[in-house]
Amino acid sequence: MNAQPDLDFIKYLKSAGGDTLKKCYQCATCSVVCPLSTDSKPFPRKEMIWAQWGLKDKLVADPDIFLCHQCGDCTAYCPRGAKPGDVLGAIRAFAYTHYGWPSGLAKLASSSKGLPMLVAIPAVIIFVLWLVSGGLVVPSQADFATHGYQQFFGHWDFYWLSKNVFYIDVIMLCAAGLAVFSVYKGALSMWKGMKEHSGIQSTFRPTIVQFTTEFLWPSIIEIVRHTRFRECKTNIDRIQGHLPLMLSFIGLFIVTVWSATANDVLALIPSFHFLHGPMSVWNPVKILANVSAIAMIVGVGILWSNRSRKEKEEGTKGSFYDWFLIWLIMAVGASGLLAEIARWAGLAAPGYVIYYVHLVTVMMLFMYMPYTKFAHLVFRTLAMAFEKYRESPYGKNTLNT
Amino acid sequence: MTDEQGASGAILVVGGGISGLTSALEAAEVGNDVFLVEKNAYFGGRVAQLNQYFPKLCPPSCGLEINFKRVKDNRRIRPFTMTTVKTVTGGPGNYEVTLETAPRYVNSNCTACGECTAACPDEIDNDFNLGMDKCKAAYLPHEMAFPRRYVINKAALSVAGAEAVKAACKYNAVDLEMKPETKVIKVSAIIWATGWTPYDPTKMDNLKFGQSKAIVTNMMIERMAAPGGPTDGAIIRPGDGKQPESFAFVQCAGSRDENHLEFCSYICCMATFKQMTYIRERYPEAKIYVFYIDLRTPGKYEKFREKLMDDKNSTFIKGKVAEIIPELDGGVTVVAENAVTGEKIRQKVDMAVLATGMQPSLAVQGAPVSLNMDKSGFIISEPEKGMISAGCARKAADVVTTNQSSTAAALKAIQISRRS
Repeated sequence: MNAQPDLDFIKYLKSAGGDTLKKCYQCATCSVVCPLSTDSKPFPRKEMIWAQWGLKDKLVADPDIFLCHQCGDCTAYCPRGAKPGDVLGAIRAFAYTHYGWPSGLAKLASSSKGLPMLVAIPAVIIFVLWLVSGGLVVPSQADFATHGYQQFFGHWDFYWLSKNVFYIDVIMLCAAGLAVFSVYKGALSMWKGMKEHSGIQSTFRPTIVQFTTEFLWPSIIEIVRHTRFRECKTNIDRIQGHLPLMLSFIGLFIVTVWSATANDVLALIPSFHFLHGPMSVWNPVKILANVSAIAMIVGVGILWSNRSRKEKEEGTKGSFYDWFLIWLIMAVGASGLLAEIARWAGLAAPGYVIYYVHLVTVMMLFMYMPYTKFAHLVFRTLAMAFEKYRESPYGKNTLNT
Repeated sequence: MTDEQGASGAILVVGGGISGLTSALEAAEVGNDVFLVEKNAYFGGRVAQLNQYFPKLCPPSCGLEINFKRVKDNRRIRPFTMTTVKTVTGGPGNYEVTLETAPRYVNSNCTACGECTAACPDEIDNDFNLGMDKCKAAYLPHEMAFPRRYVINKAALSVAGAEAVKAACKYNAVDLEMKPETKVIKVSAIIWATGWTPYDPTKMDNLKFGQSKAIVTNMMIERMAAPGGPTDGAIIRPGDGKQPESFAFVQCAGSRDENHLEFCSYICCMATFKQMTYIRERYPEAKIYVFYIDLRTPGKYEKFREKLMDDKNSTFIKGKVAEIIPELDGGVTVVAENAVTGEKIRQKVDMAVLATGMQPSLAVQGAPVSLNMDKSGFIISEPEKGMISAGCARKAADVVTTNQSSTAAALKAIQISRRS
C-alpha cells in the first residue's frame, strides 16, 4: 500500500486540539466504551489511525466524525492519553475548513491569527454602511424613547421599506446568504463523499419528501431531545449548557422570522401599521426574545465554565476552534441584552455603540457559521440523516443481493 | 557466620522469592554472609503459587526445591520468614538494618504433624489460593512450604480454638504468647528482591471483576490448575462449579494503561498461552478467544505462540476488551472492537480470564526506606549506594530474566562488600 500522508493535515490537527493523536496504539478501547458508536461501524479507533496516516479524504467523508458528540468517555478510558474525543473534535474543525467556501474566508476562520480580520470585516462593512446611511448621529432622548434602534440607520419616508430594515436586510441577508450558499455547497459535497466512501450503490433514491420525513426529521427530533448527548457519561454536564443554548437559538430563530415578517410584510397592510416600531416588553414575541437571550447567555456561560474547568483540570490549552464560538455567542447575547437595557435606561449614545457591536457580532455569527464550530448544526444533522439513510433500504443495493 | 549481627561484608536480601533466593545463594556460595528476609511465612514467592512456569513448564517444586536445599545446606545464609525491614541507617559498606519478625505462634519444636490443623475449629481465607477457599487458622501455608513449619493466625482464633490447638500439639510447639521481635544487623549492601503483586482487578471498573463469578484472574487460573489448589487441579467456574465450554482471555487487563499500570507486564501473553495448555489438557474441545493489543512473545517464546495459534478451537482477536457484561446464566459477554475487520464483537463465554499484570510490591505496600523508584514503583539500582534491585522489583520480567538480574545483583553486592 502506498500511503501519502498529508503532513499539513496532521499539523493542523495538532494545532486544533488533536496534539495527542500520535499516542494512539490502536487497542480499540475507545470504540467499545463509546456510548454512541454502533456495532457495525464503530468509532473512533478507525478515525485515529486514519488521522495518524493523514488520510484526510477518508475522514472528511466519514459521517462518524460528526456522529461523535465528544462525550469524553473514550478519552477517560484511553490507556495512552491519546484523547480520541479531542482528536475527533479537531478533525471536525478541519472538515469545516475543508468544506468552507470561499476557502480564503474558511482558512481565516480556522485560527486565532485570523481573529483581527474576522472582526474587522463586519466591523468595517457595518461602520461604512452606517456612515453612508447618514444615521451616525446620536438621537435625541425623545426619539430614542419612541424608536429605540429602529432608526439606527436613519429614516426615510419610503413607506414600503423603512431605511433601517433596508440596511439591516442588506447586511444580514448578504451575510446569511453567503453562509447558506457555502454550507449548502459543503453539505452537498459531504453527502456525495459519504455516499462514495460508504460504498453505497443504491438502486433507488429517496424523494425530497421521503428524505425529509424518514431521515432528516427523525434526526432533528433526536437533536432537540438531546437523545445522544444523554448517552454520554464523562461530559454529561454539557447538556446543561447545550440544551438551553440550542433552545435559545430556536427561540431567537422564531423571533427573527416573526419580526421580519411583521415589520417588512404584515406592517404594510394598513390596519397592521402598529407592527412597526419597538415591541412592548409584554409582547409574547418580545418575551420569547428576552427569555431566549437569557437562556443563550446562561447556556453559553455554562459551556464556558465547563470548558475552562476541564482545561484547568487536565492542564490542556484550549484551541481557537473551541473557544471562538463560545466567545462569539457570548458577545451576541451580552451585546443584545445590554443594548436593550440601554434603551430602557434611555442611554442613547452608549446604546448606539452597543447596538453597533451587536450588529457586528450577529453578522459574524451568520457569516462565519459554515467555518466555525457552529457548522456542526448542519453537518452533524446531515451525518445523522446519513446514518439513517445508510441503514435504510435506500442505502442498500436491494436488487443485486 | 561468626556472630549474630553479621560479619563485615554481609549482604541483606529483602524478599525470598525466586529472585531473592537466587541472589542469596549466588552471594553465599562465593563466601559472603547473607541475611535473607521474607515477609510471608514461607519462601518461594509468586513462583510457588504457579501451576507451571517457564521456560520449561515445570511445576514450581522443580527449581524451588533445589534452591531450598541449597539454602538449608549453606551455613552462610540466615533465612528469616515473617520478617520485614523497618529501618536502614548508615551507608554503603556499613548499613545498620532493623528487622522485625512477626510472631508465628509456633516455635521450632514443630514437626509439621498437622494435629493442630485437624483440631482447629476456626477458618480463614486462604491467601495462598487468593481467597478462593478457606483454610484453618492453624495451618501450613501450602503443601511445599519451606520452612516446613505451621503458622497460627492468632487474630482469627477463638478462645475454644486456642485451647484446642494448644491441646492438640504434642511437642509444645504452640506458643500464643509470642511477641514481635526486632533485630539489628550490619550489612554492606542490600538487594531488594521484593517482587510483585497481581494488579487489583477491581480497579478496572469496566471489566466488572467481582460482579460475576465467571470473571477470574490469570493467577486464579494458576491456583485452580495447581494440584494442591482450591479445586485440586480442576478449572471450573467459581460459585457454580460449571466446567466452562468457552473461555475469553482479556489481555493487558490493567497493563500498558496510564490509568493503571503504564508499563507492559511482560509475562501476561505467555501466561495466557501457558494457561491455554492447561485448558486444552482438561477440555480438548473448549472454545478459547484471546483478545489482545499485541502478542508479545519475545525470543524463543515465539515457537510456543505459533504452536498455540494453530489450535483450531482458539480464536485470536486484535482488540482490547473494554467492557464485560455479566449474564443471567452465570456466563459473561466480553465486548471488543476487532481492529482488523473494524467490527465490534460481543462474545458470550462461560469464563473470562483477566490477564492482569504485575505491580511492584513496594508500589502497593510502600518502601520501608527511601529508595530510588520510577513512577511505577520499580526500584532503580544504585550500586554506588549499595542499594541494588533484582527480579520483578526491578522490572516486570519472566523467571529466566529475573534469575539473570538476581545473579547480576549478587555480583554487585559482592563487589561492594569486598570494597569495604
